[in-house]
Amino acid sequence: MSPAEARLNPIASRSSQRILFPRRLRRTCFHLIQRVNMKLTLALSLVLLVFLCQNVGGKKSHKPADLDDNEFAEFEDFDDEGAEQEATVEEEADFPSESDDIVKTQAKKDDDNEEEEDEGVVENDDDEFEHFTDEDEFEGFDKESRPGKGKSHEVPDLKIAKVPIHLRTNWDSFYLEMLMLAGLGVYFLNFLAGKTKNGKLAQAWMSSHRSILEENFAIIGDDGLSKEAKGTGVFNKESENVYTLWCSGRTCVEGMLVELRLLKRQDLINVMTTIMKPASDQIIVKVTMDASSMDKFCFCIGQKKVMAKLLKEQPDLGQFTEKKAVENYNLPESFQLQSEIGEATSIVLDKKVCAYLEKYEQQIEYIHISDQYSGAKSQYDENQSKMPDVRPSLVFCFNVPGKGKTKTSDVDGMLPLMKLVFYCVDKVGRLALSKEKRLKAEKNRAKAAEGYLKAAHSQLQEAAQLRREEKRRLAKEKIMNEEDPEKARKWEERESKRDMKKKQAKTKMMKVKGM
Amino acid sequence: MSTAAINDVKRPNKIHRYKPKDSSAPGDDPTPDYMNLLGMIFSMCGLMMKLKWCAWCAVYCSFISFANSRASEDTKQTLSSFMLSISAVVMSYLQNPQPMTPPWQ
Repeated sequence: MSPAEARLNPIASRSSQRILFPRRLRRTCFHLIQRVNMKLTLALSLVLLVFLCQNVGGKKSHKPADLDDNEFAEFEDFDDEGAEQEATVEEEADFPSESDDIVKTQAKKDDDNEEEEDEGVVENDDDEFEHFTDEDEFEGFDKESRPGKGKSHEVPDLKIAKVPIHLRTNWDSFYLEMLMLAGLGVYFLNFLAGKTKNGKLAQAWMSSHRSILEENFAIIGDDGLSKEAKGTGVFNKESENVYTLWCSGRTCVEGMLVELRLLKRQDLINVMTTIMKPASDQIIVKVTMDASSMDKFCFCIGQKKVMAKLLKEQPDLGQFTEKKAVENYNLPESFQLQSEIGEATSIVLDKKVCAYLEKYEQQIEYIHISDQYSGAKSQYDENQSKMPDVRPSLVFCFNVPGKGKTKTSDVDGMLPLMKLVFYCVDKVGRLALSKEKRLKAEKNRAKAAEGYLKAAHSQLQEAAQLRREEKRRLAKEKIMNEEDPEKARKWEERESKRDMKKKQAKTKMMKVKGM
Repeated sequence: MSTAAINDVKRPNKIHRYKPKDSSAPGDDPTPDYMNLLGMIFSMCGLMMKLKWCAWCAVYCSFISFANSRASEDTKQTLSSFMLSISAVVMSYLQNPQPMTPPWQ
């Protein structure tokens, strides 16, 4: 080694001095070493490049090259230093808060322990570097505002914003809405099914009864709106479960209204109610007789449960009829009989009718024959002072067999009952009561009419009394408000005179009566 | 033929026209009217108080009212009640897109 080199590198010069070789051998070795050095340098630089690339990728720790030989320490240290410096320059751009680290890594270049270096990067407060945090050391240094420090001690309070669940992202949470829509869908499907079923039942009834209706009536099916009385031949749809048919043009009969009161199959709630409490479809036939065709009597036979309701609703039944025993006519026990005139009852309940009642016990709900038929009285009109509008009528209510689960064939089975209707109509048209029974009936009706008149009269009287009281009260108030005492005294005198006169008149009448 | 003529009960000259029942009188089935009113009340509650379940009940009520309605009734009323209930549902979801929570949660 030359003296210049020795001056530059005192360590190397010392190491070279230790080697005790002859001069010539030393020179050749040195040349060899130089050549090897070149190659080694190249290799080392390649290795260091690789390490640099790794560092740029984010690795803080970089292994310094192993010290192969103390002889090449000078090159090694230089290269390592350069690499470290480059690495830290890269890091500085990413982590400006860790500016301390540059100083630390440079200071620790002698230390080959990687772990310590890593720790040094994390740890901010180290005994060795306390002077960097000393306020006196630097001007304008604010210990508190060190950016790196805050982050490690305070856990930032993160507030996660509540993002509303969007319809498109999360269908599963809308299960209640799906249920609601499904329910609506089911209801709608049931509506269609029920509507169709009811329509089919009405159609079936029409097709099976058309012939008998055409035999008996001039027109079948009238909506009452068209100009000419032309039979439509079809039902009037009152609602999805109520169909009506008006027939007219027959002897003794003004008209016949057939009402198909089917179950509300179109309403799901009603369907469920029917499942719990079975009910039947009903056919109500109301025949309005001509005024002169029917004799005066009132009669009703029906199922016991229904009779109680009818007695409340129908004013004629409550006024004219009395309960009679069904055993006299050999009828089933389930029926209850309300009759006004026994003679009329026995004429109506002949053998044929009794046979029908026995055979179709379940299907006949009630038969109501009355010349004072007015329909169900309104529940709001409790005190009826006026006689209701009455028409002589026959009302038949039949239950369709099947108890809700009706088939079209069941409806066809109602034809014999329609025949019963016509039979009764003819019978009642021909019915003629004996003279005394007729008088009895007329007496009953006169009594009922009188009762209505009295009720009306009493109502009028009450109204008049109320008006008089009101008048007096107003006059009194007026007088009370009157400030002039003179006028008040005069009014009081007049009132007392009036009262005296009234009393005298009453006593006079009493005296006349007594005499 | 003569027997048929004797037994003929038809009287074409004695035809009486059908008089439709007075629709203004309270019918025996007040269900459609009650459901209509209930539907409107639920719709208003759903709109004003932003209650989703109210709006859904309104839709159901208007549906039931429509199913039970009489042919003589005005369809405009049923339709308007239906539209109101639909608008109640839509408005309550626009204002608050969250799904409905059942009462037991």
